[in-house]
This record gives sequence, structure tokens and C-alpha cells, in this order.
Amino acid sequence: MNVFPPMLNERLFVPFLDEVDGTLCLPASATAAEIAAQTTLYQLRFPLLLDESLPLRDQITATTHASASCRFGPFCDNILGMNWRLPSGRIARIGERVVKTTTGYDWLRFLLHSGSRFGEPTDYVVRLRPDCGFTVVALFEGTYTALENGVSQLLHSGWMHWWDAVDFITDATGSKVRVVVHCVPSEAAIFVRQLERIASSIHAHFTLHQPTSPPFDGLPDLVLKTTVDRVQSLASELSREVERSIAFCYCGVLHLYLKPGVNLTERIHALAQKVAPELHDIGGDWYSRWLPAMPPTITESPWLQTLEQAIHDTCTP
Amino acid sequence: MMGPWRSFVLKASSIDISTHKHSLVKSSLESQLKTLLPRGRVFTSAAQLAGYGADGLGYKNHIPDAVVIPADAEELVGFMKGAKALHVPVILRGAGTSLSGGPVAAQGGVIVHTSALKRIREMNVKGFWCEVECGVALNDLDAALKPHGVFYPPDPSSGPVCTLGGNVASNAGGAHCFRYGVTSNYVLGVEAVTLDGTVHRFGGPAGGRGPWREDWKRFMIGSEGTLAAFTRFWLRLLPLPEKVWTFRATYPDLKTTEAAIHALVAHTSYPAAIEMLDPRGVAMVESSQMACGLPEGSFMLLVEIDGPEPLVNARVEPVAELLRRAGSKDVMFSDEDELRKKLWKARKAAGGLLGQLSPAYVVQDAVIPKRALAEVLQLVYDEADAAGIPAVNVFHAGDGNLHPNFLFDSRVPGDLDKVELISKRLMQRVIEVGGTLSGEHGIGNDKSSYMPLVFGPDSMRLQLAVPASFNPAHQMNPLKVFDNRRFAA
Repeated sequence: MNVFPPMLNERLFVPFLDEVDGTLCLPASATAAEIAAQTTLYQLRFPLLLDESLPLRDQITATTHASASCRFGPFCDNILGMNWRLPSGRIARIGERVVKTTTGYDWLRFLLHSGSRFGEPTDYVVRLRPDCGFTVVALFEGTYTALENGVSQLLHSGWMHWWDAVDFITDATGSKVRVVVHCVPSEAAIFVRQLERIASSIHAHFTLHQPTSPPFDGLPDLVLKTTVDRVQSLASELSREVERSIAFCYCGVLHLYLKPGVNLTERIHALAQKVAPELHDIGGDWYSRWLPAMPPTITESPWLQTLEQAIHDTCTP
Repeated sequence: MMGPWRSFVLKASSIDISTHKHSLVKSSLESQLKTLLPRGRVFTSAAQLAGYGADGLGYKNHIPDAVVIPADAEELVGFMKGAKALHVPVILRGAGTSLSGGPVAAQGGVIVHTSALKRIREMNVKGFWCEVECGVALNDLDAALKPHGVFYPPDPSSGPVCTLGGNVASNAGGAHCFRYGVTSNYVLGVEAVTLDGTVHRFGGPAGGRGPWREDWKRFMIGSEGTLAAFTRFWLRLLPLPEKVWTFRATYPDLKTTEAAIHALVAHTSYPAAIEMLDPRGVAMVESSQMACGLPEGSFMLLVEIDGPEPLVNARVEPVAELLRRAGSKDVMFSDEDELRKKLWKARKAAGGLLGQLSPAYVVQDAVIPKRALAEVLQLVYDEADAAGIPAVNVFHAGDGNLHPNFLFDSRVPGDLDKVELISKRLMQRVIEVGGTLSGEHGIGNDKSSYMPLVFGPDSMRLQLAVPASFNPAHQMNPLKVFDNRRFAA
């Protein structure tokens, strides 16, 4: 028997910044600049951003990962809670404002990238990280084999935990590996020495840049989820069919950017169909913000109907 | 004179009839189970079932009607196919180390012990993933991975025996979650068997949705055996850090300890673990054979940083200085394995000592915003002292994940009521300050009555829709997570 009467309200999140926990509740429409405006004062940052001017909601809807997911994990590990507008118009609280929870079923991770079928977020609670004050971007250029070797060295040691990003990029200029380091200024030399050591061992051309902000690559047209040991070769195989590709090497995620123009959706669809069987076999998937979501399988249709019925029932007093 | 005698005869006869009927039902269940599990084991005798009455929570005992041990995954699938027709609850169980009353037969039924599914099926070091069966013990996986230079980060203290099936079912955490995260951060795929015996593969080595429209594995992780049986998982791995430094510092009061924790969580060294032991825990350790010279009345912080040697070595002095600046006069630290073990000694010993000191204890698992640490801990002390119930706090301070342990004797009338009252007041305050009921233990049947504190009417509907999708009759692990999940055969 319950010792507590049922709650009368939904405990919705209200905007806050908790500088001790490093958590921030803000509208889903907030942009990178708006997030930074709130966090910089407290030497905190939200590292998982793809675009400087687009709302956070659009970025999270477009993909599951960002470049800095190498270090901090996917969006779903960095969004702690949401206010979620159900199709009925009612708003429900999903998730928490604390970093750990196993209270009930995980609707947060289920809904975060579910498209608009179940509604949409109105606010996010995001997890912030210490802003160490110094960002350096290293670029390795060389043969595919050299870069493959370089990525292996970058990932298969304890240094891997400290790279914000290890990205394999292909574009019109060729292939390169981009490593983003975010650290306190006093540690920069330690990181640079390690990067130089790797560059030297693979005979790659190596340059360092000190940007004012981490790279914003924009929203991908097509996202592929594969394994860590397949993502780089897949990027290479598809490089001729896209304008640019960015493989997040530790995450097994490939962001593809196609040439804009006619038949964009058809081209994306063709590309997705080409790789879908391989991806599905290993528990991977694809997603494009330009295409409708896949139809549900026969097995999941009744599960979806039950969930939709529950959501519909939220209109009923 | 006839009245009482007649009454006695009727009573005796009804007991006899009921016992006879029960034994018939039981023998029928036993024969059905033996048909479903021709190669596995079926236990029905009182002596065999006794060990399955409780989990790590200890004091709540629910003897199941039967226990089965499928010989392998194939037999588990066969059992699930026939389980619906048994018309009894089905409860999956790994090592039974849960601390929330999860894998117990709260409404009777059959416990499915997954101890035979203990194969590590594949380790793909290049791809940073492994495939394991649900009965693999956590530390066995660690030992298998270590020679390859990789590890699976979640590290609940029951690691030597707890199974990955239980870890996934309860979304287990551990001491190093502050930087590394919990189980849900590392599960790439789940193979689950629903009650009709259908095998579903949600995700896989690539960690995506697979051919599904939705990411169903998200509901499976942390579902406490209420949706499906798990047979195997695909888990994400990380490279082992080369160097580890452990720090131990003591503080004179709660306020300075809280200040140290606040400074540590924002520090650019990104500690892997920030653990705390309160003065009652310190006193418990110091009066035992595990004494390690901690000052009386002190709060102890245990901090760990790790990484590549040149990097982590450069962070040692800044962390030590932070601990000193926050008010500690005895900061100790080391990178040598033997010394590090000594620094961990008090933290590790505390859990075991609780069991020796008290016939029973309840450990809560609330997570709170860290600015409320001192306030909520004070509430624990005030409430426990007023009720005369000893309380010891040993917990994951970096995550704000409290583990107040309330020591009591379930044989003393009223003791359990007092503990439940303290827990109720604690949970109310936890929710008021913006926290949640459980960070890593799960809800089980221990915290299910507090769920209405967390979920409003709309979010409660959404919550209950999840078991309604996969297990609408609540045959799987009834009375867990939500206490209105009752199986009606």
C-alpha cells in the first residue's frame, strides 16, 4: 500500500543554474551563445555543440553524438532531464536534475531522439563540465594507413580519456585526423608533446591551432552508427559520395554532409539504404533529419500503441 | 466444551487440506518446470529455497515456490516460452546482491537463477566492446579484460560476485561513477526474452537501435526484471588508465567536508572517485580490526585521479593543495598499489563491518544536488538520533549519492517501523531539494511506496505504460518498482 498520496503536480523544471553540481536548465530553443552567456561566469561549459546559432533542440534532434562525445559520451548521457510537451499539449517532467538515477523506467533516453511521435522538449537540464580555459586543435595529415595507425594510438592508451575529440575527416582536400584538447594552460605542453610523438611515429604532417572556440561542424545530413573498428573505413568508402564526412572515432558515429541541391533527400535515402543492412546486423542504425523516421516493425507496433495510448490518456483527468 | 474442540478440529483439518492442496499444486509446478528445463535444475524443497528468500536487503524474506537454473540461454528461452502457462510470477535473479528487494518472490512464484549463463562470448579490443552472458560475474569480466589493456568501468562494491545481468537490471554504479558514469552509459545492446519466448536483440556492438524504429534498450536497462529476461549484453569498454593516485583527507566537520567536495567536483583534474565516510563510520572502522588511524570524530574523504603518467602526476599537488586548503590537516596520497589499498581500507571495510555490527540494516540510495549535502546529512543524524537508530553514512559524495545505513534489529518490535519512518522523512526531503529516490540500487520493493513522491499523474501514466507494453499482466517480477504492479493469474 502506498504511504504517500498521489502527487498533484508534475514537478516541472524551472530554469536554474547550479554551479556546484554543474547543471543548467534552459529552454530547448537556447543557442550555444545563450548557453555560454550563462556558464562562462562560473568557468563551466557545455561541450556537446555542433552549431553556434541553431537551437540546442535542433542539434539534439539531428544526431545522437557531437565531436566531444569522445570524452563526454552522447547527448543522452549529458541531458539529465526535460520538460516534455506531450501531443495533448500537457507538459510532463522527464528525468532528473541530478547526475545519477535509477528511479523508474528511462523515458529520458527513450524520448530524446525519438522524433516528434511522442511530443517535443520545451526545456533541457544539461550537464556542464569545468571550463579549463585552453583549447588546442591538432591536425594530422597523411596516408590512410598512417592516419589509421594514428587513430589507433590516440585511442588505445590512457590518453584516450582526455581527448575531447578524435575525428577522422574527409573532404575535398583529402583526409585528416582532428584531435581537440581542452585543458588548463599549464597542461597544454604535456598534451602537445604526446600529440607530436604520435605524429612523428606515423610520419604525418602535423599542425596545431588555437581556436577561440571548439569546432562547430554544423548539422549532418545523414548520421550512421557503426562500431569503433568500422567507422573509419566506412567513412573512407563513402567519401566519394559526400561532400564531407566526420567520423567520431571512439563513438563509431559517422556524420555525412552531402552537396546541397536537387534530389538531396533521394541521395540521402539511397545512401542510407546502401549501408542499412550492414549497420542493422551489428546493432547500428542510420538517421537523417531530412527523411521521415523508419516505419515501426510488426513486433514494436503494439508496444508503440500502448505507449501512445498512455500519452493520449494524459488528457483524461 | 465442544465449541473450542470443534473449532480446533476444523482448524486442524483446514490446515491439512490446505497443505495437501499446496503440495499438489507444488508437485504439479515442479513437474511442469522439469518439462520446461530438461537439462537445467529445479529446486522445490524448503532447504533449497531458503537461500533465495532475500537479497542483500536481508530482512525481508519471501520464499519462492520454486527456483530453476536453466542450463544455458537456449533453455532460458524455452522456459520463457512456457512460463506464461505456469500462471505464477517469474523473477530473474543473478547473484542476489541487490540492495532494494529486487530479485525476490514478493508475490511467490518461480525464481530463475541465471548462474549458468556465464560465458564471455567475445572481446573485441580494437572495437572497444565485449559480448557477455547475463550470469558473468563483474570481477571475472574485469580479470578477463585487464590483460588486453581495457576495462568496463561500472564498479559496484559487490563486484566479486554480482552478475552483469543484475548490474544492467538495476543500472548499477559504484565508487568511480563520478567520472566514468553508471551501467546505462556502457550498454551497447541487450538481448531480451519476453514472456512469449520471443528473443529480441535491442542494439548490439554498434550501440544503436538496430533495425527497430525506437531505441527499446533504453527501457530495458534499469527495468529490474519487470519487462523481460536478459540473456546477453554488448558492453562498451575503455582503455585502462596507466596511473592512479589515491588521496585520503579528514575534516573536522560537515561544513568543511562539504566545501572540499564542492571544490573537487569542479576541479579540472576530473577525479574518478570522491567518496565520503562520516564520523560514525570512522568510529566503526577504528574500533574494529580494520583500524587505520583515522582521527576520532573526523569526516574522511577518499579521492582518486587517474590517467597517463605525465598528466596525472602533474595533477597530484593541485589536488593535495585543494584538500588542504579546504581545511584538512592530514592529507595522505600515494600511487603505490599497497599504500593505495591502505588508503582505501577504511572505505572498503565499512560496508562489511555494518553486517557484523547489526542483525539488519537498511541502506538508502538517494541522490541529491550537492549543495544540499550537509543539510540532508544533518536531517539523517537528527531523525536517526531522535528514534534511537544508529545511522552510518558511507557514500559517493561526488555524485551526491547518499547511502545512509540505518542499523536495527528486525526482531525488536517497532525498530523496523522507526527505520521506515526515518526513510520516509528522508525521501520527502530528498525530493523537496530536487533529488531522486535511487541512484544505483534500483527501487525493488523497498522504495516502491515512495514512487508517488517523484511522479505526477501524467508521468506516472507514462511510467506504467512501459510494463504495460512488455508485460501487461505483471507476471514478471510483480510488486517491484511500482507496488500496484500485482500479478493476477
